Amino acid sequence: MKATFPHMGNVYLAVKALLDGLGIDYVIPPKNNKTALDIGSLHSPEEICLPYKIMIGNYVQAVEQGADTIIFVGSCGPCRLGEYCELQINLMKKLGYNLNFIVIDYPKDIGIKELFKRINEISGVSNKKAHEKLNALLNAIQVINLIDKIEEMAHMYAGYERNKGECKSLLNKCKNEAMQSKTPIEMIKILKNYQQKLKYISIDINKNPITIAIIGEIYTVIEPYSNFYIEEKLMDYGISSRRGLSPSWWVRNAALSPLKINSYKIRKNAKKYLSIPIGGHAVECIGEAVTASNEGFDGAIQIFPMGCMPEIVSKSILPTISKDLDFPVMSLVVDDMTGEAGYITRIEAFIDLLERRREDVLSRC
Amino acid sequence: MIVGIPKGLLYYKYHPFLITFFKELGAEVITSEDTNKDILDLGVKYCVDEACLPIKIFHGHVVSIKDKCDLMVIPRIMQLNKNEFICPKFCGLPEMVLNSIDNMPPTITDPIYAISKNTLYRWAKTTGTRVTHDTFKIKHAYKKAYESLINHQTGINDKLNNMKIALVGHPYNIYDNYINMNLVSKLNKLGVAVETMEFTQDFLINLEINNLYKKPFWTFARENYGFAVNAATEKRVDGIIYISSFNCGIDSVIIELIKDRIGSFPFLTLKVDEHTGEAGIETRVEAFTDMLERRIQNESNIPTHG
Repeated sequence: MKATFPHMGNVYLAVKALLDGLGIDYVIPPKNNKTALDIGSLHSPEEICLPYKIMIGNYVQAVEQGADTIIFVGSCGPCRLGEYCELQINLMKKLGYNLNFIVIDYPKDIGIKELFKRINEISGVSNKKAHEKLNALLNAIQVINLIDKIEEMAHMYAGYERNKGECKSLLNKCKNEAMQSKTPIEMIKILKNYQQKLKYISIDINKNPITIAIIGEIYTVIEPYSNFYIEEKLMDYGISSRRGLSPSWWVRNAALSPLKINSYKIRKNAKKYLSIPIGGHAVECIGEAVTASNEGFDGAIQIFPMGCMPEIVSKSILPTISKDLDFPVMSLVVDDMTGEAGYITRIEAFIDLLERRREDVLSRC
Repeated sequence: MIVGIPKGLLYYKYHPFLITFFKELGAEVITSEDTNKDILDLGVKYCVDEACLPIKIFHGHVVSIKDKCDLMVIPRIMQLNKNEFICPKFCGLPEMVLNSIDNMPPTITDPIYAISKNTLYRWAKTTGTRVTHDTFKIKHAYKKAYESLINHQTGINDKLNNMKIALVGHPYNIYDNYINMNLVSKLNKLGVAVETMEFTQDFLINLEINNLYKKPFWTFARENYGFAVNAATEKRVDGIIYISSFNCGIDSVIIELIKDRIGSFPFLTLKVDEHTGEAGIETRVEAFTDMLERRIQNESNIPTHG
């Protein structure tokens, strides 16, 4: 078995740590690129959302490198993600690839027995002992927590740094080095090392940078290729940004959701505008916007793929939040046809607007 | 008290319930007009750009009656069957409407879980108190409304000529004659009989669903897929027309699933949005029926591909 999986931000580091720990052979698809998207758009249904297309590109590129098993997560919410697996299995078969799909789904949909059977398909290949397997899983969770924390710090400090570009280069170096690591323990060591380095970069606490919250659909905000590296761009502009949705948040949220104590703050803040979960991450999007406004952020940028059903609902609510709280929000829709120049222009214009709002105090009256 | 019911989305399937319920409670019920150009224009003006055509039209209906009623019903239909959903936009429909349209009258936005008689009654109880405090009256009204819902038959099953097609799609696309530009009468004029999903029994639909890797979690996906595949494999129809609104997330999945399953069976997708030209639709429908006719005439011939 040679496993592979679709990309989503830094998840590949955690999966690498997990599969390294389990001793399973794997292929990491090439980082998302134009070719992957082109392959995806060529074969995918016309109106499906952007993540699907990129994932198909990932699979094809990984299969070319010898992968034969695809690990994928499902869901049974009203959002389209839950139907991906069925369509993708059919599509890959039609393209002539003989692949084995392992779909990790919620137990409430497929039953706990089926879930264990599917997990066993992965872990059964490994010849490690049970406690080593558990250890590998814990290491993977630690990796995803660390890399998310490092990213969050780098994005926040980017506005305060004394040496311009330090955060960005540290972050990129960190990812590259972690990718080269041989064992999970080594990777954790590297990540911890970089976390320390980031903690002690020289920052100017008196600076008052523009702060922007990134909200929206989870795949497009986490996967930098699909949002044209918006966070790196903001770092270049010397803007602090924060993104609430991350893979580690997702793990925490999924683990706590049966007890209904997940992301309490978000749900509390969103309640006034959207009281019922409607699938996808619409409640989170609304909650993040309100939270960001309460915490004194200058503005928020919502990103979602064209046709995303839950985010269309939140997009229609955001203008009200913007009016109520005097908080600028911009919505960006991405798909495979999005032109980068127009996209950058809009981001720059939005930043200009935020800057002028600050200078012109009267505008807040 | 005047209760306003917009004639959009699932109105076509469930209007007897809503109308009877509020009439029995003693309220006056008004509905908006049938969809027309003005309503579409209002909808496009008020709704977010990214939404699909039926949602925009619903906004138009709301705007057209918002000044004429004291209480408006915006049904937030969460679930029709257990463990199944409808489109997320239905769950967030009241939010979409209330945040896009100003000066709205008081609205009823309680979530409807139409899983069983009891869960639906829970909705009726909370909603009924907005009109009257007489619980006996609410119970009575609910019973009447439920009866009228059970007795209400929708669906088209023509017994015309020799040719028959299956018309698949969301109910609001099939029954709103403005959205689909009188597709059914156009087909009938061409001598084609139409069958819709309502006449396929549930167990036949479920038989088809069992062949899938994963059970679809959208009610309409399950029904439409099951019906289309069943009609095609049993050769009850000569072709399938799927009427879908542009950018519909659910349709993008179902159409792929159906196409995968039925192979080379004649299948036409009609996309509608607020710019669709009637001439284009007509041409495509005529071409499709011509093709079906030729297929029937040449049926005994060996197909060219093998």
